[in-house]
Amino acid sequence: MKPFPYFLLGVALAAPAAVQAQPSFAAPPPPATVVQDAGLRREQYFSRIDEAINWRNSQVKRDNLATMDMTAIACKLVRHEDIEACSARVIELMKDPGTGPFWMFPVVCVAYTGRGLLSPEAQAAIRHAWRTTMQIRGDTENHWAMYYTSLYLMAELYPDEPAETWYTGKSSAENLAESRAYLISWMDLTTTVGQGEFNPTGYITEYAIPMVFLASWAKDPAMRQRGHMTLDWLFADLAENTLHGVLRGPNARTTDIPVMERWNDHASFYSWLLFGNTPPTAGYGGFGLYFAVAAKNYDVPEVIYRIAMDRDADYVQRDLKRSRRRWRFSDVLSSPVYKTSYMRRDYAVGSYQGGAADPIQTHVWDVTWAVPDPRGVHNDMFSNHPYSSPDQLQAWFPTYPELMIPNLPAEGKPSYDEPDKILGASPYEQVFQDLDTVVALYNIPPGIRYPQINGFFSKDLADFSVDKSGWIFARGGRAYLAYRPLAPYTLTPYRGYLQLPSNEGYKWERVATGDTLLQSPHLKNGTIVQAASQDEFKDFAAFKAAINALPLTFSLEPTPTVKLKTLRGRDVVVTYGQPPVVNGQPLDYTKWKLFEGPYLNAEKGSRKLTITHGRLERVLDFNTLSITDSILP
Amino acid sequence: MNSLSLLRPAGLRLLALLTLPAVGGLAATPAAADFYICAALNKGYVTGSKITTISGLFKRGADGAWQHIGYNDMSITAAAFDPRDHNVIYTAALNGCWRSLDGGLTWRQTNDWTITEGRDVAVDPNAPDQVYLALPDGIAVSHDRAQTWTRRENGLPDRGKYTQTIKVDRSQAGHVLAGCETGIYLTEDGAAFWRHVLPTTDAVNDIEQSYHDPKIWIAVTQSAGAWRSNDGGATWTKLAGVPSDHTLYNVTFDPHHPQRIALGGWDAGVLTSEDGGKTWINRTAGLPTPHHVWRVGIDPDNGLLYASVVKQTLFTSSDFGRTWQRGPFENSTINDFISLPRAEK
Amino acid sequence: MKINISALLALLTASLLPATAQIPATGPMPVRLVVTDANVRREDYNRRVDEVVNWYAAQAKPGENLGVGQMLAKLVRHEDQAQVSTSVIALMKDPGTGPFWMFPVVGLSLLGQDQLSAAAKQAIRDMWRTTYQVRGDTENHWLMYYTSLYLISEQNPNEPGNTWYTGKSSAENLAEARSYLISWMDLTTTVGQGEFSPTGYIAEYSIPLMYLATWAKDPAMRQRGHMMLDWLYAELAQNTLNGVLHGPNSRTDERDVIERGNTAASYYCWLLFGNTVPPKDYAGFGIYFAVAAKNYHVPEVIYRIAVDRDRDYTQHDLKRTRRRWRYSDQLSPPVYRTDYTRKDYAVGSIQGGLIDPIQTHVWDVTWDVPDPRGVHNTMFSLQPYSADRSMQMYFSTYPEPMIPNLAVEGKPSYDLATKVIGSSPYERVFQDHDTIIALYDIAPGTRFPQVNGFFSKDLQHVTEDPSGWIFAQGGKTYLAYRPLAGYHWIKYLSRDGGWAKEVRDLGDKLLVSPQLKNGTILQAADESEFQSFDAFKAAINALPLEFKLEPTPTVTMTTLRGKKVTFTYGEAPVVNGVPVDYSKWKLFESPYLNAEKGSRKLTITHGRLERVLDFNTDSITDRVLP
Repeated sequence: MKPFPYFLLGVALAAPAAVQAQPSFAAPPPPATVVQDAGLRREQYFSRIDEAINWRNSQVKRDNLATMDMTAIACKLVRHEDIEACSARVIELMKDPGTGPFWMFPVVCVAYTGRGLLSPEAQAAIRHAWRTTMQIRGDTENHWAMYYTSLYLMAELYPDEPAETWYTGKSSAENLAESRAYLISWMDLTTTVGQGEFNPTGYITEYAIPMVFLASWAKDPAMRQRGHMTLDWLFADLAENTLHGVLRGPNARTTDIPVMERWNDHASFYSWLLFGNTPPTAGYGGFGLYFAVAAKNYDVPEVIYRIAMDRDADYVQRDLKRSRRRWRFSDVLSSPVYKTSYMRRDYAVGSYQGGAADPIQTHVWDVTWAVPDPRGVHNDMFSNHPYSSPDQLQAWFPTYPELMIPNLPAEGKPSYDEPDKILGASPYEQVFQDLDTVVALYNIPPGIRYPQINGFFSKDLADFSVDKSGWIFARGGRAYLAYRPLAPYTLTPYRGYLQLPSNEGYKWERVATGDTLLQSPHLKNGTIVQAASQDEFKDFAAFKAAINALPLTFSLEPTPTVKLKTLRGRDVVVTYGQPPVVNGQPLDYTKWKLFEGPYLNAEKGSRKLTITHGRLERVLDFNTLSITDSILP
Repeated sequence: MNSLSLLRPAGLRLLALLTLPAVGGLAATPAAADFYICAALNKGYVTGSKITTISGLFKRGADGAWQHIGYNDMSITAAAFDPRDHNVIYTAALNGCWRSLDGGLTWRQTNDWTITEGRDVAVDPNAPDQVYLALPDGIAVSHDRAQTWTRRENGLPDRGKYTQTIKVDRSQAGHVLAGCETGIYLTEDGAAFWRHVLPTTDAVNDIEQSYHDPKIWIAVTQSAGAWRSNDGGATWTKLAGVPSDHTLYNVTFDPHHPQRIALGGWDAGVLTSEDGGKTWINRTAGLPTPHHVWRVGIDPDNGLLYASVVKQTLFTSSDFGRTWQRGPFENSTINDFISLPRAEK
Repeated sequence: MKINISALLALLTASLLPATAQIPATGPMPVRLVVTDANVRREDYNRRVDEVVNWYAAQAKPGENLGVGQMLAKLVRHEDQAQVSTSVIALMKDPGTGPFWMFPVVGLSLLGQDQLSAAAKQAIRDMWRTTYQVRGDTENHWLMYYTSLYLISEQNPNEPGNTWYTGKSSAENLAEARSYLISWMDLTTTVGQGEFSPTGYIAEYSIPLMYLATWAKDPAMRQRGHMMLDWLYAELAQNTLNGVLHGPNSRTDERDVIERGNTAASYYCWLLFGNTVPPKDYAGFGIYFAVAAKNYHVPEVIYRIAVDRDRDYTQHDLKRTRRRWRYSDQLSPPVYRTDYTRKDYAVGSIQGGLIDPIQTHVWDVTWDVPDPRGVHNTMFSLQPYSADRSMQMYFSTYPEPMIPNLAVEGKPSYDLATKVIGSSPYERVFQDHDTIIALYDIAPGTRFPQVNGFFSKDLQHVTEDPSGWIFAQGGKTYLAYRPLAGYHWIKYLSRDGGWAKEVRDLGDKLLVSPQLKNGTILQAADESEFQSFDAFKAAINALPLEFKLEPTPTVTMTTLRGKKVTFTYGEAPVVNGVPVDYSKWKLFESPYLNAEKGSRKLTITHGRLERVLDFNTDSITDRVLP
């Protein structure tokens, strides 16, 4: 099956068809074998890095310098190839500089890989742009990580230079101090109360790139170490949240394509590069090439590699994250996000407690099943409330209510104001998960735009059937799935978003994906999902019988409430607006740790993450800026 | 919201635009004021794409042409000037607050990472080293021409201090009004303490002081219509005749005609009063639909009424809204009109 | 000591082939610079590793059986697998015995596990069943032996005793090997290494530890191998002067002790730090390390200790002697080591006495040279001790046959009066910064009742001053050597390395002082500290100095560094009125390496970089200091 197409970020290709000429993108999926030999693991990692760089360099046409953008220049420089052309192209590109983090980090990459290679004129052109061109800092967590890492590295590259030589009007020392202070404060926040843009399917690249640059090129060993430790932190989180390389479960930010085709975003490029356990996305993730340029300065530690690759038991992982900061209409700047993952060999269930983590792009919960080749497969199931509200946007953005929603499609968020969207969190959704049981309840006030619940049913489900009991049964890969809508619904074809070529912002066309959308237009509502492995039952009929036999009572008025004995024998009572009760014990989120599971553990506020696999342990301690690798007895 | 991208290196730039028609004989008389706008021109820009426009601060020249000053900054929201020297410029923008000491040739980002997304900036005309900055998370004050900033939020709520606009009373040093998420706050001691003088449920978008009576102020809001104060902002009365069913973005007084006031807003279009605010007339006819008016302004020299219509152009009216002419700045939103008594420098 | 010499020679011959186009051994010295980019450091290192592997692979002759080094090189390159398998089968038809045979075969087994033919693998496996393996009797023998047995037992688990030459099951072999390796690491990390700072035997430690770090299935043993490599190379880094190992060695040989930059240690400096050139043929055994070397990257903190120094420093280390079976009231007495390292020279010493019965080098001054190849850049003295009683002390042997046999066991100079290696029970050494006082009180009747002082062919301005001082210049180093008794000069005749039969006059001289009560004072300084060489001489002559040899040699002097020192044979040295208390000596103490005695924990520091190796928790901690 072909992956859902979309355009590459930041890569000017010789021809769109070239995207197809990528060895690992086009090849069969890699075997899921654990590489035991550290030397071999490193060799394979390096060969994947080289593959990405070779591919990018192969796209450059010497007779068409337009094909030589900053990714190509960086890839050429790291190979010490076509240096004169690189210098000429840098001079050309610096005549018309851009602004903002997405312009800054590629230039930093070229400036560093070009040390001692680029002509003095080319280096001067880069330096000149940093004097004359105002750089927008942006307004998201990832923007600031890129902006301040870029400013930090450029200020270190050109130390002791006066304020008038920088667009900020600040001296090298001032720029360095400001950048360092922000980066440390961000690391402090992330390592005490959690990342804001947690588990992003695409934005992972906007964190990985600046951190690998910091780990590679910062002169200050403390900042190098911080970069390295933050990469470990990020990739440990990635490893524990992937199913055979596919990032699943909730995401602070994602988009309409990867929320249905879970493999199809940059996180898979990093799984491929670091773990070699899934194919890379088209064009090696576009921006991912910038990571590749510096990637040989980083080796993923064996303990993280094994968390991604080598699991011998099902596990539950609970993590603490935080929402994006709210400027207004909220009692707290950033509210806690309580995340649960239950990982098994054939499927995984993940969720957080509901409510908005990001105003537009959040994915709250799903069941994702393993497939031999994830490309083009829509391997998940979930429901959501398609919330759209100017007030919501005002809470997070310093904007007026009217203008933003109409602009969102052109800014890459086409579905925000669509009633059939499958992306986005709602303040009227509350989710509880116990192992592979999810109960999502909805209590939508009257007058809310789009008073309905959407349930996503993949084209790749097998044996889809609506049971007279009210349960909907289906098979996804080797996972048996039972979905119980708590209010009447209709089933209609789902239409996805096909990006069209455009030079004036994003343009989209709605296209049928083959999937089905359950729409339940009722304010008081809910979804129950129960998953199991086919190995647990004699056949699918036996699974259905077991589900139908589960004691279940629910009511929607006055407040949605569900009483259920799960397939795992837990007595669960979930009432909208109240703590869930499991076997008579109310769930106490205040006791949630920053990480708690067999692999990742950290106390809230600790700045210290313990990564464990078998007898391997790595401790990242930001209090002492230390990395400790131990072998447990 | 995404980060922006830039067309060309910054610098002084002259746009060849229409010279605007004058009203009466005013344009013939020597200009008594400087007139600036903060314009954001967006032609399908999104993150990573190329900006093909020039945005930022523009000064209306004597010939009516608009001269770009400083950085190409699509994120600019407001500007303020030192009354002693208009070469000292402050802009509120996504990065916080920028300052130029040389008329826009060179700039300094005055803030560090703890300040972001400046919404409005104001200079105290009676204490010009005092600069006030409206922020999504409160208010910052500088006592040294924005060299350093201090948070001054005593009296603002812990949450609910989103500040959209800030204005300084030209008649009293340290007398400042802030339009916040929860209403209007007044300080009479240079922001040492803020007093809640008008509660609202949604943001106060603009507050303006009459050119003719410093005690008179008008504020416009997102969901509570327009309000008037006759006592320097201490107390407020809702303006009858101004509907509350649409967001009002700004208000402007006519520097020459005390009775002339204009309001602009989304779907509200342009509302004008020619009797000091007693009655209001919708002057949107002649502007393109939808009537998404972003800002209105009045030229201090020739009395032209300006209306910025979202993703359209800057429209002008030489008869105070009765008829409109399409002007420059295609695909623009004008975020601020600033008219200042001409300074020596 | 009955190591299978024929097997060792066979391996050497197999791995050492005509050195065609071995560029680094003959090319220019590397530029002295610090590579700050981690990835460039890694690329440079990998390139050097590849160079060794490729050079060995290039020696292969089509149709001929390969030497073991070539087989390993081919396996690393995944080429000519059929030829390698054939060669392995041929090699296994006439297997050797002992550690020097075992570890290369382990390398073949592990590198070849997915490449060798079933018949080749079977031939190796059969050899482990049929061929008795001698364990040897030195620290390095046992490390190689038990690492080999450990790895091969792990590779062939759950096999019964009758399938192993030991008659023990895989599990028994594994347990015994693991137990020894951990006990050796415990000993080394609590009271110090026995065969410390060896010029040649560093290979015999590096190779098994690298194999352990690479191929042990048990992550704890992999980690221990990795940590011991760090430990070994941290010490190498701090004891080298631009890639040249200087100062005392528990074990070395006649060539290495005078041509300090031409030893196996230089191979490791070249490979790990890139700051010198490798010896000819990559020191012979170099290939065995290179085939696994990409599994180890020297940590930046160690790299910087080797190449990035901004000050002079003193290092005090604790080591131990080789174990004594008899004639001693201690199994392994402590060795107190001092090093003073400066930009242009280094002075190093231990306190004297018997350390290793044959091959110890006790003290020297080594000066920096732009290119160490062929340069004899050192100065020292010793008592050429030779005694069958010391042989018996360290070996379970009879007195008569051992000394005659030494010549064929790689120690040709042991019983020569003119030798320049070996420690003596009649030597006591004290060092403060760049001042050395070596006192000798030789018992009457001792064989070779003399002190030998080594004077290099590469010294300049050698002057016998009327004051009794002998002045000379080595590189940028001014040297003052004061014999405390009469002497005469003879030519020093070189025996090129342990196995050489050839005796050559290379131009060096030996100061021979045939008095039982004797001593040497040596003072070094940098030429930049004085206006001229004459000014240095004047400063030395002006130093307050008193000494007497009867009844016991004793010296009282003020050093060039202003320290008032009194040193009497058999007594604790006194510095500025305070006796030196060796009982307070730590395992490591310096700006770079620090460890408490008994701690099992080494802290390696350079600038703000810190790495802690903690064998109590099997942990490595990398920290950046504030």
